[in-house]
Amino acid sequence: MAGFLIKRLLQAIFVVVAVTLIVSFAIRLTGDPALMLSQGAGSITEEDLARIRESLGLNQPFFVQYADFMLGLFSLDFGRSFLGGTQVSALIANALPATLMLAFASMFVSIVISIPLGIKAAISRGKWPDQVIRILSLVGLSFPNFWLAIMLVLLLSITFRLLPPSGMTGIENFIMPAITMGVILTATNVRLVRTSMLETLQSQYIMVARAKGLSENVVLYKHALRNCAIPLVTYFGLQFGNLLGGIVVVELVFNWPGMGTLAFEAVGARDYPVLQAVITVLSIMIVGVNLLVDIAYGLIDPRIRTE
Amino acid sequence: MTKKQGMRSALMALAFAGGLMATAPAYAEGTLTISSPQDPGSWDPVDTFLVNWSSVATNIYDGLTYRGPDAKLVPGLASSWEEFDGGTRIRFHLREGVTFQNGEPFNAEAVKFTFDRLMGDEGKKGPQRSNYAAIKSVEVIDENTVDMHLTQPDPVLLTKLAGYGAMIVPPKYIAEKGEDYFNAHPIGTGPFKMVSYEPKVGLTLEAYADHWGGAPKLSTIKYRFISEPSTAVAELQAGNVDLVIPPTIPIGMIPTIQEDENIDIVTTVSPTVYALRFNTGNGITADEKVRKAMIYGVDRQAIIDSILGGQAAPIASFQGELSFGNDPSMKPLPYDPAKAQALLKEAGVAPGTKIQIDIRGNDATFNEVAQAVASYLQVIGLNATIKPYETNVLLNDIIPAGKTGAMFQQSWGGWTLDYDNTAYFMYHTGEKWNPYDSDPELDKLLESQRAITDRAKREEILQSIAHYTADRALEMPLYNLNAIFGVSKRVKNFTPVPDSRLRLTEVTVD
Repeated sequence: MAGFLIKRLLQAIFVVVAVTLIVSFAIRLTGDPALMLSQGAGSITEEDLARIRESLGLNQPFFVQYADFMLGLFSLDFGRSFLGGTQVSALIANALPATLMLAFASMFVSIVISIPLGIKAAISRGKWPDQVIRILSLVGLSFPNFWLAIMLVLLLSITFRLLPPSGMTGIENFIMPAITMGVILTATNVRLVRTSMLETLQSQYIMVARAKGLSENVVLYKHALRNCAIPLVTYFGLQFGNLLGGIVVVELVFNWPGMGTLAFEAVGARDYPVLQAVITVLSIMIVGVNLLVDIAYGLIDPRIRTE
Repeated sequence: MTKKQGMRSALMALAFAGGLMATAPAYAEGTLTISSPQDPGSWDPVDTFLVNWSSVATNIYDGLTYRGPDAKLVPGLASSWEEFDGGTRIRFHLREGVTFQNGEPFNAEAVKFTFDRLMGDEGKKGPQRSNYAAIKSVEVIDENTVDMHLTQPDPVLLTKLAGYGAMIVPPKYIAEKGEDYFNAHPIGTGPFKMVSYEPKVGLTLEAYADHWGGAPKLSTIKYRFISEPSTAVAELQAGNVDLVIPPTIPIGMIPTIQEDENIDIVTTVSPTVYALRFNTGNGITADEKVRKAMIYGVDRQAIIDSILGGQAAPIASFQGELSFGNDPSMKPLPYDPAKAQALLKEAGVAPGTKIQIDIRGNDATFNEVAQAVASYLQVIGLNATIKPYETNVLLNDIIPAGKTGAMFQQSWGGWTLDYDNTAYFMYHTGEKWNPYDSDPELDKLLESQRAITDRAKREEILQSIAHYTADRALEMPLYNLNAIFGVSKRVKNFTPVPDSRLRLTEVTVD
C-alpha cells in the first residue's frame, strides 16, 4: 500500500508543477498588463509603462517570476492582484469556499437524483420507465447550462419571485445554481448508474442472492449497489474536475462570487497573479481528488493496491 | 458565436416575460442598490482608470473643482481660483471648515500631500500620473491657500482636477494606516463614506452628514458588482437592484426593459463616440479618395435608426456634442453611393477589392453595426470581411502596433469632454493610437492649442482640427452613443450622468 501511495503522490506532484509552469508561461503570452492598466490613458510614454511594469514585478525574467510564485505557494502567498493590489490569497479565501459549496451542492443534487433513477432504469430495462428515464437524461445532456440557468431565473426569480436571481447571501441562493449544475451532471450519471447496475445484476452472485430468497431491496442496495460502486466512485471523483471547469459559466450567470468568476475577470484584466493562483489551486484540488479516488479504489477493492 | 446569440435571444425572452408580472419591492427607507459591472480592486484615486471606479468614488471624494451632470465646472474644495504667470501658476483658495470623513481637517497640507503623492513614488506605480504631467509642484501659501505650479499651461487641467487622480486624500490617515489599508478603506471629504467593501462582491456607502455641501438625502447606497448584463437586468426586474449603471445594458435589451412597468430606461448624451478609423498607411485606404468614397457609401443615419434604436446621434468628426471643440455647424458627409462608386473608380479601385474591418469581438451591438457597414460597402463594390478580436488584444496589441486591416473600430470617450483628449492621441505623430499617420501641419495645430488658455481661441483651433481631419477623411465617423441607465421607478430625482461620475446626493427612494 505504501509503495502505491508514494507512486501516486509523485505523479500528482509532477502534474501540479507541469500545470503551474504551463499556465504561468502561457498567460504571459496574452499581452502586457501595463498596457491594460493604462488603457484609459490617452498619452502614455514608454517610461510610464516601464514604471508600471516594475511596480508589478514584470521587469524580472520569467523564471524569477515563476520561482517567486512557486515559493510563495508554500506560505500560501500568491502575490497581489494587478488590479488594485488586493492580496490574491484573500480573494481565493473568499472564492474557493463559494465554489466548493456550490460544487458539493451540485453533486449532492445529482447523486440524489441519479442513483434511484439509474437503478430504476436498470431493473426495468427495456420497459417504459427505462425508456422515459433514458430520454429524459438525453434531454438533460443536451441542455446548455447557461440556457437552463437563464430559464430558471426567468421562471423562479422574475415570474414567480420565489428566489433571488443572483449573488450568494443565503441558502436560497444555492437552489438555482445547484439545480443547473446538478441536472447536467445527472444526465450522464443516470446512464452510468444504469449501465453499471445492469452489468452487476447479471453477475452470478446476484443470482445466488436471489436464489437464497433475499428480498429484492436487499439484493439491489446491499449486494448490487455496493459492487457497482467502484466505477461510480471513480466517475463521480473525476467528474468533480469537470464540475469545477463547467462551473465558470454558471457562476457568471448567477453572479456567484467563486473561482470561476474570479478567473474570468482575471483573464479579461490580464491579472497574472490571480489567474495563476486560481488555476494552481483548482489543479491541486483536481489532482488531489483524483488521488483520493485512487486511494478509495484501493480501499474498496484490495486487488488494486496489491498490483 | 452561436452560443452568444442563443444567450441573447434567451435574454430577450427573459426580459420580456419579466415585463408581464411585477410587484413593488420592500426596502428600508433611504437605501439605494446599484449594479456596477466591475470592481476596480482599489479605491485609491492614483490606481485606476476604470470608469466604474468613479461611479463609486465620486461619492466618496471631492476634488478642488467639481463638475456635475450639466458638464459645467464649478468650485469644489477650492472656493475660487486665479491663474497667474501665463497660466503656469494657479492659486486656489480653499473652502474652510471642511473635514474628511474620519474627522481629519482638510487644508492646504492635504492638497499638497495629494499632489505630491500623485506625482511621486506612489503615483508612479499607477496609470493616473501621466494625466497630470503638467503639475510641477504644489506650494502651501497659508492654511487655506495653495499655488499649483505647472511646467506648461494645461487648459484642461481645471477639469481634470474634478475627477480621478486629483481627488483629495487625507494625509494623516494614509500615514497612519498605510497605503494598502487605504486601498480598501478609502476616506475622502465627499458626501458618502465607505463602511464595508467585499472584493468582487459589493460595497456599502453611508451618508456623511457633515459634508460641506449638506447631508445627502439617502442614508445608504449599496453597490453590487454584476458583470453579466442579463443578471443585472434580472436583478433590476426582481426589484433587488434599483439602478443599473453603464456600461452594462446593451441596446438590444432596452425595449424589453421599457415593457416592465416598474422600471425605466433613462439615457443621456455621453462623451462616447464610435468610428471606424482607416489604415492610412497602406492598402487602398492610404488614398484619401477611397476613404471619402467609403464614408459616402455608408448610410450612418440608417444604422443609428435601425440598429441603435435611436440611442445615438450622427457625428461629423470624432467627437460628440458635449465635446469642447465640436462645431455644431459641421455636417457629416451625406449618404451618396453613386458618388462613392465614382470616387472609387477615379481612384482606380477594382470592384470586388477585399478589405478587412477589425472590431472588438465582445461588443454585440457594434458587431451588428460592422455587419451593416460591410454590406453597404458591398453595394459600392468593396468586399469587406469583419475580423473580431478580443478587446484587449485589439486595443493593446493590434492597433498600437499598426497591424490592423483597412478599418478598425475605435470607441473613445474622455471624461474631460475636451477634444484635445481625443484629437491629440488619435492624430499626433507617434501617439499610441495613431499607428499610421504623420502630418506635420496637423501636429502643429494640435500642439498650438495646448499652450493657449484663452477658451475662445482654443475652441477655434480645436474646431479647425476637426474640420482638417474630416477633410482628410482620417476616419469614418459613425455615432455618439448615449449612456444608458436602467432605473427602478422607486428612485426619485435621479439625473443620468454622461461620464459615469455619478454623485447621488439628491437622489431619494420611495
